[in-house]
Amino acid sequence: MTQADPRLRLAVLGGKATAWASRGLGMGGGTTLPGDVARAIDPRILRKLGASPRLGIVLVTGTNGKTTTSALLRQIAAAAGWRTGGNQSGSNLIYGLTAAAVAQADLLGRMELDWLVLEVDELSAALAAEELRPGILVVLNAFRDQLDRSFEVDQVAARLGEAVAALPERAVAVLNSDDPRIAALEGGPNASHFGIEDRDLDRGGLPESADRPVCPRCGGSLRFDAVYYGQCGDFRCPTCGWSRPSPAVRVTRLLTAGLDHMELTLAGPGGGAGPVPVPLAGAHNAANVAAAAAAALAMGASWEQIRHGLEEFRPAFGRSQVVPWRQRQVRLLLAKNPAGMEASLETVLGAGSGPVLGLALNDGIADGTDISWIWDVEFERLASGGPRWVVLSGRRAAELGLRLRYAGLDGSRLLLRPGAEEALDELAARAAPGLPAPALLTYTAMLAWHRAVVGTGGAQPFWTQG
Amino acid sequence: MTGSRSLRLGLLYPREMNLYGDRGNVLALVRRATLRGVELEVATLGLDGGDPKEIQSCSGFLIGGGQDLDQLALAHDLVTRKGPALRELVSSGAPLLAVCAGYQLLGDHYRTAAGDLIPGLGILPLRTEAGRRRLVGNILVAASPGLGLANPLLVGFENHSGRTILEPGLAPLGRVVRGGGNDGDSGAEGAVLGSVIGTYLHGPLLPKNPALADWWLFTAADRTGTTIDRSQLDDTAEEAARREAIRITLSGSRSRGYRLLGRRPRIRRTG
Repeated sequence: MTQADPRLRLAVLGGKATAWASRGLGMGGGTTLPGDVARAIDPRILRKLGASPRLGIVLVTGTNGKTTTSALLRQIAAAAGWRTGGNQSGSNLIYGLTAAAVAQADLLGRMELDWLVLEVDELSAALAAEELRPGILVVLNAFRDQLDRSFEVDQVAARLGEAVAALPERAVAVLNSDDPRIAALEGGPNASHFGIEDRDLDRGGLPESADRPVCPRCGGSLRFDAVYYGQCGDFRCPTCGWSRPSPAVRVTRLLTAGLDHMELTLAGPGGGAGPVPVPLAGAHNAANVAAAAAAALAMGASWEQIRHGLEEFRPAFGRSQVVPWRQRQVRLLLAKNPAGMEASLETVLGAGSGPVLGLALNDGIADGTDISWIWDVEFERLASGGPRWVVLSGRRAAELGLRLRYAGLDGSRLLLRPGAEEALDELAARAAPGLPAPALLTYTAMLAWHRAVVGTGGAQPFWTQG
Repeated sequence: MTGSRSLRLGLLYPREMNLYGDRGNVLALVRRATLRGVELEVATLGLDGGDPKEIQSCSGFLIGGGQDLDQLALAHDLVTRKGPALRELVSSGAPLLAVCAGYQLLGDHYRTAAGDLIPGLGILPLRTEAGRRRLVGNILVAASPGLGLANPLLVGFENHSGRTILEPGLAPLGRVVRGGGNDGDSGAEGAVLGSVIGTYLHGPLLPKNPALADWWLFTAADRTGTTIDRSQLDDTAEEAARREAIRITLSGSRSRGYRLLGRRPRIRRTG
């Protein structure tokens, strides 16, 4: 784009001015409003910015693990020496993407970047793919998520399929081999699959929260020879004969130790890496790492660069972050749907994380107003073991309390503390010194707890991280 | 069976119809049965099971919500294989509680947006047609007094695009206080006929509406002559979750997808 585009310049200027103003007024990080303003001035702004010369674009979508995977990918890109930008704040609807692009453009409407790595909401992915024309699209999974917004998992998978179909001809679709709905997407000849191939991680069956394993090709019932997390594993369809596509990038070995440490071995075209230490835990995160590695290979990174990036990686906002509170520490973990809650719960219990656990459930639009999913999470495992006390918080704290009673927990173990600060107080009062008390929170609950901690000077505002 | 202390719940298609935490309904029935001195056994009546003999061994039934994709395969199995035995049991007073897609399957048919007809069991004289907008949000329903529920205010979450039309003479489960209900504008929610209740309320339904769980247990006990403790249980935790849900439903800030103008509470502030 060599000729001047006054409308684009004005839109960029308007967006940037809005971001400055909203931060200056203490209205928060200005992570979507600037996008709103910029698109109002120039509705084609994202198309124009995305077409910046020499700029490569990667979109990361799916219901779970977008933020972690795109953060991993940005770290690998940085290790490869590429100038990289993205939407680290997690604002992943079209206005958030626009705001992120505006923030990284100069006043002439150009992005002096090698790569723009953006996480995208699963229902916005098709539109984003059409406007940004990415070189790489990573599709992680389709779990039950916020049913009142995205209705049904099959519909989510259909929208993800539209995103893949909207890709430019030479683009690479990076797809999860282990999630049947994603594995079934038509990625074309350039598709690259990733997956887990460590049978030691087999959970021995589908969890309660998994959906009925229907073959996306013929509607028959799928058989699983191994289940690694959620509905993801090694599957085949006895009816039509379709089976899990063999992944190009594989996790061949995973050792998890504690809540924030794992060592994993990757294999793929041209070699592999590992064992590499990564400050994350669980099979679902191993899949995120494999996804990031597959995307990085498509970007042209070497295995050496992938390894460096993984070693330097630090978890993104709220994905596993330790914050101080009253001489104790609390570990904040995002758990926004059954699969995420299940995975976090498993990690927390596996790590033996002390005498008290926090759970916070909100029913805001960003959380999903339908909270019935908590009844599909296997909280029963808390009945026979785990922490002595569970602190329940958020707008639907009482519903959580009822769920845990029905899971078999005695009422004396449950502490109802709806507000963020009172919940943090209760956790701090019962946490062991030196051992962060884990807290699993839905999205807006995470924001509220973060605000409380920022208020006491214990953590940086999230929009300055990354 | 007189004097027996056990009941058997026939859980229809739990693998396929489990989308909205409906598992909570089973937990509620099992828990309250235990507290009332009755052992509740759960029999799974899935696509690969549930022959007439198995159905006849059950004291009552539960069927939940599901995805559109699943309904066609299910409808065929329900109508042809399980239908006759189920109809017989229900007409002799066995309780059948059906939620969302399960409710739709009890009617005459479901007409999809594409115009396809999914046949129903025909136990309830009603039909359902695909609507243009989805009714999504918290819902509050005043149950019909005829049911004799200890607490007739039912609270839950609805999420359906089907519009259910009751034939004249079929009583709704209750009147909508907040939310959409059967069709979004008649004010009717669900349907009751004898020992059959259909409703759009999930969330799940029974933990927060223990009176309805008790209705199921007492109806099943009545039919089988099972001795069951009918005294008031300690429902402190249930009441707390109920009050929380009712408060949020009435605050209305969370209802989306439809608007019920003129029904919102007017709050006047002074000072």
